[in-house]
Amino acid sequence: MAMRELVSGGAACATSGSSSSSNPLGSLANALLGSSSKTQQERLREIPTSTAIPSDGSASVGTGEPLSGLPGSELDHPLQPNAQGSEFLRGFRSADQHGLADVWDDIQRPQVNFPPEHVLRQPDTNGPPQRVLSSFLHSFVNSSHGGIPFCPATLPVLGLSAGDKQCIRDRSSIMARHFFADKSEDFINAQVNALLSSLEIDNDIRAPGPAFKRYQELEKYWHETHGMRPGPNPADGWVAEFAQHPVGHGDPSTWVQSFEQEHGANGWASEFEHEHAQLASMDHIRGATMPHLAAMEQTRMLANTLAQNNDPKFQNSKFFQFVSKMSRGEITVEDNQIKPATLSAPGDWATEYQQQYSGGQTWADQFLSKGPNGWVDEFASERGHVDDGWVNEFSKLHVNDWAEEFGRQVGEGTFGDSSADNWASAYDEYLNEQTALKQQSESSRGVYVFSDLNPYVGHPNPLKEGQELFRKGLLSEAVLALEAEVLKNPDNAEGWRLLGIAHAENDDDQQAIAAMMRAQEVDPTNLEVLLALGVSHTNELEQAAALKYLYSWLRHHPKYGTVVPPNQPDSLYYGDVATYFSDAARMSPDDADVHIVLGVLYNLSREYDKAIESFQTALKLKPRDYSLWNKLGATQANSVQSADAILAYQQALDLKPNYVRAWANMGISYANQGMYEESIRYYVRALAMNPKADNAWQYLRISLSCASRNDMLEACDSRNLDFLQKEFPL
Amino acid sequence: MPVFKVPFNGYSVKFSPFYESQLAVATAQNFGILGNGRLHVLQLSPSPANPGQPIIELSSFDTADGVYDCCWSESHDSLIVAAVADGSVKLYDLSLPPTANPIRSLQEHTREVHSVDYNVVRKDSFLSSSWDDTVKLWTVDRPSSVRTFKEHAYCVYSTAWNPRHADVFASASGDCTARIWDVREPASTMILPAHEFEILSCDWNKYDDCVIATASVDKSIKVWDVRSFRVPVAVLNGHGYAVRKVKFSPHRGSVIASCSYDMTVCLWDYMVEDALIGRYDHHTEFTVGVDMSVHVEGLLASTGWDELVYVWQHGMDPRAP
Repeated sequence: MAMRELVSGGAACATSGSSSSSNPLGSLANALLGSSSKTQQERLREIPTSTAIPSDGSASVGTGEPLSGLPGSELDHPLQPNAQGSEFLRGFRSADQHGLADVWDDIQRPQVNFPPEHVLRQPDTNGPPQRVLSSFLHSFVNSSHGGIPFCPATLPVLGLSAGDKQCIRDRSSIMARHFFADKSEDFINAQVNALLSSLEIDNDIRAPGPAFKRYQELEKYWHETHGMRPGPNPADGWVAEFAQHPVGHGDPSTWVQSFEQEHGANGWASEFEHEHAQLASMDHIRGATMPHLAAMEQTRMLANTLAQNNDPKFQNSKFFQFVSKMSRGEITVEDNQIKPATLSAPGDWATEYQQQYSGGQTWADQFLSKGPNGWVDEFASERGHVDDGWVNEFSKLHVNDWAEEFGRQVGEGTFGDSSADNWASAYDEYLNEQTALKQQSESSRGVYVFSDLNPYVGHPNPLKEGQELFRKGLLSEAVLALEAEVLKNPDNAEGWRLLGIAHAENDDDQQAIAAMMRAQEVDPTNLEVLLALGVSHTNELEQAAALKYLYSWLRHHPKYGTVVPPNQPDSLYYGDVATYFSDAARMSPDDADVHIVLGVLYNLSREYDKAIESFQTALKLKPRDYSLWNKLGATQANSVQSADAILAYQQALDLKPNYVRAWANMGISYANQGMYEESIRYYVRALAMNPKADNAWQYLRISLSCASRNDMLEACDSRNLDFLQKEFPL
Repeated sequence: MPVFKVPFNGYSVKFSPFYESQLAVATAQNFGILGNGRLHVLQLSPSPANPGQPIIELSSFDTADGVYDCCWSESHDSLIVAAVADGSVKLYDLSLPPTANPIRSLQEHTREVHSVDYNVVRKDSFLSSSWDDTVKLWTVDRPSSVRTFKEHAYCVYSTAWNPRHADVFASASGDCTARIWDVREPASTMILPAHEFEILSCDWNKYDDCVIATASVDKSIKVWDVRSFRVPVAVLNGHGYAVRKVKFSPHRGSVIASCSYDMTVCLWDYMVEDALIGRYDHHTEFTVGVDMSVHVEGLLASTGWDELVYVWQHGMDPRAP
């Protein structure tokens, strides 16, 4: 221990989590004394240029330099695994001829670099890929043949250390997911496996596949929200069973053989894998581990993809050639050396396969017509009782790919007619889900969505009722009455307009826009409608649309029509529109509306100071306009004056106590000031008045987690207002 | 236009925020799968008086594993932070000889560090993101990280500080989400399920602190307003493969540069209808690094696995002599 301390500078320089010792002598000490490190599986990395100053926390960084005063500076730790420090040891041994003193000096003198050939394992990367590979494998060979008694148990005599293999495996699998984005998970695994088996890297090192990990969070969500025990969920069940299915049926090899006889040996694995990949990828269902196929089969898959990419640039890519050659067996690994394959060209079977594949029937057809027994049927009948639980849950996750894939599979008849009914019903459910989603997106495109079960339908004068309710501030009721009105009289612009305003005040700009667009259809020049549309689009951050309506407002205004050019330009620029309104404001400085629009415009351009000024000017002219107070507050909040904003919102609420939007905005302002508890109370108040305000639910959720009230998240997610109101009274 | 050959595969290129003629390039051997790495600091020749060598190397630093990313300090003109595949974050001081570098090696990530980003507002801290699913916050005066942000369920490929708020940053992950964080808060403040596929990169609009862009394996770039994240502000399609990096222009609010595994660099204006305003096909391998100069409007730099670094003016041919 003392010796290690002496040479390595003590614990100060030991980096945790790294197998490296801080200097070469340290690794010598480790080699001699035996390593105390527990991170032996770390991969070997040699010393590039770093130096060996005993690091005591005040290592010389160079005096007078701007950064020299940084405390805790330490030198780069050569990432040399203690027990695998063969590079150093070799250097050490060779240096031995010149005497230990030299080595000691080398180590002590930071300026001295190791000779490049010791420093960098693969100085030459300009050669063809084989050479690159060859040279790095050479280094592995050298490093692992150092004869140091290190992890013999885990490593058979192989060119690559476990760490390197892990490294190649992990990195190539992560990268392959970027290159081959279009392909399925298993396909990518096959790619990586091909690469790895060419390098004689076994699959015993399991890299965590992202697909298995990727949805952990969602899984957790399932467990949390549905009270399921973590553990194999039903989805895993069927997938696993599916994966094992061939094995479960007596003698799998005979099955394989009979299929091979029918279809030729070249087809089975790839085709099965392809199909399997499709199934497993619908999508991201976890756990369907491919039965490990022979390396050659996987190799074919890889070459197949490469052949499928017709882009000449890709065919010329060194990287792809590198992968491709290894996968095609043109490079083989023998005795840890890279050799060109001796066999005659492995046949252009890739292209052959491609032709065959693209020309042929789909696998499913082939298999269903010729396949022995139709495993699909069996599978379906066996698993006829798959419980719907996971299906329902899964369908809630909006995994579009899955649905599409599923739809396609169903469309292609892959599962056969007898495919389990539960799949179909799951799909139906999913469709419903999709329809609901579509409705949402339609409303975002301006289609008004009516409420179900409207008690005001049949009311003799729903418009009057709606106006009355609106005046009383019962916005949600007013919405229903006004909906009844526009159902009765779809051409009533005033009905639509008031409906839009009610939605806007209820903090639902999507519906507000939809209603206002209907109003505008009926009455294209209604100034109030145009202004409201401009404001709502601004709230939804849709600048182009907002500009369009604000421009129209000006053009149709009896006073300001002359300010703008008569023909609306194809595309409106913010600057132009702002100029027109500035002109208008100069024309009649006492028109509150112009100042309001200017304030909205300045919000679009994020010139909040100017916007505040405009709204304040407008408020002098219209002090009792509660929506104007709200606009002022929102602008102040945007310009980080949340305290002022709260005063403005308070004004709005004094004028109109049931103004949902102002309540919600109040919450936002408190949240912006870090007063999350306060903000929660306001959001809950706003939601109590209008539970349909989706934005407010989202804000509430954020505030709850910021206030560390995770205990209330469930109530928030289930929209349990009673509970929330009890917990957060205002 | 200047081109520079590096010995390894290019991974990232960054213009210096202090000198218009300096850039740092992160490289890795064997496509970053296995081998060494090197961090280069390059100097653009100030005048065309030296046409033979438009770019010269000021210095280079070797590492024992690939360098996946680098960033310049915003407070010291000679300080560069490097993201190294061995899980370390290394600090280099250009004013010191290579032998005295790196001045710091921060070994906390348990897997490859994929990106680093320097805080542009506070200028005293930086973030690293890693394949160990975490993001770590560091300050230059501390030997260990200040905070670890562990929420992502898969590799975090990139992080970007908000250009206006000192404590806010965004992260992009292979778990198909981008997240917005405030370092003062215990957890992420927003989860943006931005794409159906892995998200490889994100960046903030330099003129609108609410707008971010995400780049994904799904080949698209999406622009989002974090205040209304249900629908993207814009979806930019045009890359043929996964989009590797996305970067907002420092000069024009709506201009975005991107690079992709389709080997191209694209320039976009997300405000206009035909968003694709430039496409450069000069690399012959995956293009994985792109940057825009803060000092010279329209000056672009890119690097890729063809071991080349290009610097060119928007509108010009990068390969033109």
